[in-house]
Amino acid sequence: MLVLTRKPGEGIIIGDNIVVKIIEMKSGGIRIGIDAPRDTKIYRQEVYDRIRQENIEAAAGWDMTDLDILSDKLAGRTLKK
Amino acid sequence: MKTINTRFGEVEYDPSHVIHFPEGLVGLDQLKNFLVMPNTKQGPLFWIQSVDDPAFAFVVTDPTNFFLDYIVLPDENERQKLNIDENGSCFVLAIVSISQDKEISLNLSGPILYAPETKKGLQVILEDPRYDIRTPLPKIDKK
Repeated sequence: MLVLTRKPGEGIIIGDNIVVKIIEMKSGGIRIGIDAPRDTKIYRQEVYDRIRQENIEAAAGWDMTDLDILSDKLAGRTLKK
Repeated sequence: MKTINTRFGEVEYDPSHVIHFPEGLVGLDQLKNFLVMPNTKQGPLFWIQSVDDPAFAFVVTDPTNFFLDYIVLPDENERQKLNIDENGSCFVLAIVSISQDKEISLNLSGPILYAPETKKGLQVILEDPRYDIRTPLPKIDKK
């Protein structure tokens, strides 16, 4: 991993069209500004990781019997008809 | 017709019925093509089966059946990926997770946008603290 030291107000450029700027440091957190093309996906890493992990677990953790049981349980449970 | 071998047995499908996720799912970008499998039971649950990796299948549901105020609209960039314009119809689906004690929760933090006209899907990430990856169904008042 490339490690750089930057001060508030300084930035880095990634590729031709992504700029990451250190805005300020406040109470242990660092505020970062990012300029990137609209179609660049930017997420907080922990949020992305949680969804990825949940996708994996959701795919593995069920079988047909579960689906049948739950469908019976939920029959008539929906709010709109 | 084509067939794939899934953990639920052999599934025969018409390739023109495949839903395409141009970006795959979050963290699982190899999963780009899914089949919608009808549940044999009545009810709001159905499952989508990955064509690319038959080991992956997800139970999904329309979350607005349970959460009336849950609305996710695609932005311009997402509409582009779904290949629809502002008037194109777009549904939201939530991936269902089933716990060991057979309770279900919905992933309202990472819903799927689905455009039926173009048969395209997109999993989006909502950074909204009200929505959890494992949101339990609202409790029903017993009379």
